[in-house]
Amino acid sequence: MMKNNHDTGHRGLFRTVALISAVFAMVMCVLIVVNYIQVKRTDPLNTPVMKALVERLQGNPGDDQLRQQIRELDLLARKAFFTTQWQVRMGGYLLFFSLLIAVICLKYLEMREKPVPEAPQGEKTDFWNDRNINRSWVAYTGIGIVVLALVLGTLTHLELGKRLEPAGLLMGGNNATFNAGNANNAGNADNADSGKRRVAVAVVTEGYPSAQEINANFASFRGPGGDGIALKQNTPTSWDGKGMKNILWKTEVPLPGFNSPIIWNDRVFLTGASETTREVYCFDLNSGKIIWKFPVDKIQGTPAKAPVVNKETGQCAPTMTTDGRRVYAIFANGDLIALDMDGKKVWAKNLGLPANHYGHSSSLVMYHDLLIIQYDQRGAGCVMALSGKTGEVAWKTSRNVRISWASPILVNTGSRMELILVADPLVASYNPADGKELWKMECISGEVGPSVAYADGVVFSVNDYAKLAAVEIGDPPKLLWEDNEYLSDIPSPLATGKYLFLATSYGTVVCYDARKGTKYWVHEYDTPIYASPILANGKVYLLDKKGVMHIVKADQTYAVVGEPQLGEGSVCTPAFASGRIVIRGDKSLFCIGKP
Amino acid sequence: MKKIRVIFIFVVLLSLQFMNAYGVQRFPKPDFESGYLQPETLQPSARAGLLAIMDVSVLALALALVSWLVLKKRSRTGVFWTSVFSLAYFGFYRQGCVCSIGAIQNVTLALFDKSYVIPLAVLAFFILPLVFTLFFGRTFCAGVCPFGAMQDLVSFRPQKPDPRLNAVLGMMPYIYLGLAVLYAATGSDFIICRYDPFVGIFRFNASFGMLIFSGTLLVSGIFIARPYCRYLCPYGVLLNWASRFSWRHLTITPDKCIQCRLCEESCPYDAIDIPVVDLNPEGRSVTARKLILVSLLVPFFIVLGGWTGSRLHETLAGVNGKVRLAKILLEPERYRDQPEPFEVTAYKSSGKPLTVVYDEAAGVLRRFYTGGWLLGCFIGLVFGMILAGRLLTRYSTDYTPNKGACFSCARCVDYCPVEKNGTKEVKP
Repeated sequence: MMKNNHDTGHRGLFRTVALISAVFAMVMCVLIVVNYIQVKRTDPLNTPVMKALVERLQGNPGDDQLRQQIRELDLLARKAFFTTQWQVRMGGYLLFFSLLIAVICLKYLEMREKPVPEAPQGEKTDFWNDRNINRSWVAYTGIGIVVLALVLGTLTHLELGKRLEPAGLLMGGNNATFNAGNANNAGNADNADSGKRRVAVAVVTEGYPSAQEINANFASFRGPGGDGIALKQNTPTSWDGKGMKNILWKTEVPLPGFNSPIIWNDRVFLTGASETTREVYCFDLNSGKIIWKFPVDKIQGTPAKAPVVNKETGQCAPTMTTDGRRVYAIFANGDLIALDMDGKKVWAKNLGLPANHYGHSSSLVMYHDLLIIQYDQRGAGCVMALSGKTGEVAWKTSRNVRISWASPILVNTGSRMELILVADPLVASYNPADGKELWKMECISGEVGPSVAYADGVVFSVNDYAKLAAVEIGDPPKLLWEDNEYLSDIPSPLATGKYLFLATSYGTVVCYDARKGTKYWVHEYDTPIYASPILANGKVYLLDKKGVMHIVKADQTYAVVGEPQLGEGSVCTPAFASGRIVIRGDKSLFCIGKP
Repeated sequence: MKKIRVIFIFVVLLSLQFMNAYGVQRFPKPDFESGYLQPETLQPSARAGLLAIMDVSVLALALALVSWLVLKKRSRTGVFWTSVFSLAYFGFYRQGCVCSIGAIQNVTLALFDKSYVIPLAVLAFFILPLVFTLFFGRTFCAGVCPFGAMQDLVSFRPQKPDPRLNAVLGMMPYIYLGLAVLYAATGSDFIICRYDPFVGIFRFNASFGMLIFSGTLLVSGIFIARPYCRYLCPYGVLLNWASRFSWRHLTITPDKCIQCRLCEESCPYDAIDIPVVDLNPEGRSVTARKLILVSLLVPFFIVLGGWTGSRLHETLAGVNGKVRLAKILLEPERYRDQPEPFEVTAYKSSGKPLTVVYDEAAGVLRRFYTGGWLLGCFIGLVFGMILAGRLLTRYSTDYTPNKGACFSCARCVDYCPVEKNGTKEVKP
C-alpha cells in the first residue's frame, strides 16, 4: 500500500515536472520566434535616424560632435543586434534542455504506466479492404505524379542548354575571362588548348573555327576578338634583335606596311603595299621563310590610281584576319581579297575608294564565317559583314559617324556577342549576326584612331583632344567615369577587369582602376608608342617606336619585367604564339622565342 | 527518503538549464570597442584516424549489441537504452556526421568522380548497417541510428496511420534517394546533409527554417512514429531492400503463434503483417488481369518517368553551382541593380575563362540530362513495382513482421505471451 502511494507520488511529480518543462518550452519557443522576427527585421546600420544623421554629416563634414554621435549610435545598434542574436541562441539552449527534461519525465511515465496488452476488440482488420484502399491511393499518387510531371515536362522551356552551347562556341578569344583583372590568367587558354576542356567545341560547324581554335591562334589585330589579350603562356621576356639573342628568325618583308602580323597554326600573314603594288604574304612560323605571296591586282573596280594617304598610315594599314579556312586582306584603295591557306584566290572585290584623307586603316575581324568590315568614310559610314566563303554581303548597317581609323572588336558580354565600334561621335554596339544596333553612347569626338578596349562589361574609348570614357554596356549604357589628362591618338587601350592600361603616342603609359578611373601609376618613356599594348601571361607588352619592348607587370604598381630591344623600329602591334612573339619591324619580320 | 532523493534529482536537472545559461555568458561577445579581430577562417581538420577507427568500432559494436538484443535477448528495454546511447554518441557527440544516411552521397560521388577518394570510415558507415541488415534485419534503425532514436524518444502517442497516407507518402523516400544520388553523382550537392532535419539540433546551430522543419517532424512524431524514417529516409530504402533478404529476422513470437492478437496493435510503424487466410474476394482471375496490366504498364511508367526527368533536367541542374554561375553570367542585366552574387565574386577571383565556365555548365547539363532520364526511369519503375506489389499477396496464418518495413525495435516482442518453451507472464 505504502509502495503504491510512493509510486503515485513519483508519477505525480514527474507529470508536474514534464508539464512545467513543456510549458516553459512553449514559452521559449514563442519568444524565440518573436526574437527571430525582430532580428530579421532589424537593419541596425540603416535606421532612419542613422540615415538622417549621416545625411547631416555629409552636409557638414567638419562636425566632430555629430560624427561621434553617429559612432555611438552605430555601436549601440550593433550591440542591440548581437544581443538579440545571443538571446535567440540562449533561447535555443533553454528550449532544448526543457524539452529534454519533459521527454525524460514522459518516458519515465510511459515505462511506469505501460498498459497491459489487450487483444483488439471486434473483428480483425479487414486486410483486403485496407489493401484496396492502399492500392487505390498508390495509383492516385502515381497518377498525380504523372500528371504533375507531364505538366512540368511540357511547360519547361529548355533554354539554358541552347544558350550555353553557342555561348561556349562564340566566345572566341576576346574577353576570355569575364574579369581579366587577374591578368595572370590571360594564359589559361594555352592550357585549355591542350587540355580536355572542349565541350561546346566538339560540335564545331564546318564553316568557321571553334572558340578553341580561335583562342589557340592570333587571328586578328590585337589578338582573338581584338581586345588586346593574348591567351598564351611562356611568352618571351628577353631578347636582343641586334645580337640575335632569342631571335628565332628574321625575314625582310618585301613591301612596307603598318599592318600587324596575324598567326594561324604555323603560318604568319601580313600585307605590304606601295602605290603600285599590293601583296599578301604567308610566312612559315618555324623558319621565317615566305611560303607564298599573292599580288593583289586585277580586281574589278580597283581605282586606277592609289589614294593619297598619310605616310604614317600607308597603303595597307589594316591588319588581316583569318578563319583558318581563308585569309582576308583589305587595302587603302578598297581592294578586298580572300585567299585560301595555300595562297589561291577565293574571291576579291573592291569596296569603292574610301573617302579617307589619311588612308583607310580599320582592321578586319571575323565572326563565325562572316568577315566584318568597319568602313567609316566621309559621308557614308557603315559596317558590313560579308560571307567569308563567297564575299556576298550578309548585312550592312549605315552609321551616322565621321571617318574612323579604329578597328571593330568582338566581345562576349556573358549573354551575347557584341560588335563594338568607335567613331566620332559615338561608341556603338551591334549584333554581329545581323548588324542590328544594340546600343550606343556619344562619348567621343575627333579623328578617332584607337580602337576600344573591353573587360567585365565595360567599354573604354579614348581619343586625343577628346576624352577617355568608361562605358558600362547595356541598354541604355552608363558612363562610369571619364578622364582627359592622358589621351591617345594611335595606340588602343587595354583593359582587364581591374585595370585599364593606356599607352599614348607621346610615350606615356598610365594604369587606371578600370571601375573607378583612379590612376594607379603613370610612367613616361622617352620614345613614342604607336603599337597597341598586349596582355599576355600576366604582363603588358608595350612596344615603342624604336623597337624597345617595355614589359611590365599587369598590376597596380609599376614593375618592369624586361626591356628587350628589337634592333629595329616598329609601329606594329606584336602577335603572340605559344612561347613566341612575332613583331613586324620597319623592314623585317621577327620571330622571338627560345631556340 | 526515496521521495527526497527523487526531488533532489529533478531540482538538479532543472537547474541544469540555468547552469548552461551561465556557461554561455562566461565568454563575452566580440566587442567592437576592444579591437577584436575576426578570427581567420580555417578548414576544419579531418577527424583523427584513431577517432575514426573508434567511431567505426562503436558503430560495429552497437550494431552487434542491438542485433543480439533483438534476436537473442528479445529485449525492448535493451534496444531502447542502446538507442539512447547512440543518440548521445552519434548524435550529440559526433554531431550527426558521418552518418550512414549521408554516406550514400559519398559512395555515389566516389563511384562517379574518380578524383574523389572516399574515407574508409565513411565507407564503413555506409556498408556496415547494410551488412548487418542482410544478416539480422534493420537493427541499425532499431537502436543505432541517432535519427531514429530521437524520433523514437518522442513517439508518445503513436497512431496507426491511414493506409492512404502510407500510399501517398510511401513514394517519398524513393524520390529523395533518387535525387540525392543524382545530385551527388553530378557533384552538385549533398542534399541529404543540406536538408538534414536533426543535425542542426545535434550541433545547436539549426537555422530557423530547419528548426521549424525538425520541430514539425518531432511534433508529428508524437502521433506518427518515426515520420522521417518512414516517409523520407533514403537510406531506409536500401535497408528495406536488404532486410527483405535478411538471414535471420526478428520474430514476434519465439515459438508458435497462438493467435492471441495481443501484438496486432503493438507496432507503431504498421509493420506487422496480419494473417491472411481468406482468399481475395475479388477473385484470382481479376487480380491476375490487374497484375498483367500493371506489368505491361511498368515499361510505360519507366519511359514516361525518364522523359519527364529529362525534360526537367535544367530545373534540376539549377542546384549545381557551375550551372548557377553560368546562368548569372549569361544574364548579367538581371543582376545589374543587385549586389554582385558571391558566385560571381568567387569566379572573378579565379580568373577562369568564360568559355570554361560555359563549357563546364554545358557538361553538367548533359550529365543532368542523362541523370534526369535515369531518375525518372527509377521513379517510374518504383511506382510500377509498388503497384504490382499491392496485387501480390503472401498468405500466412501467423502474425509476422514485415521484413522490409520492420525497424526491429522489438516493441512487439513485449506483447507476445509466448516463450520459447511455454507461456510467459506479460508484465504490466
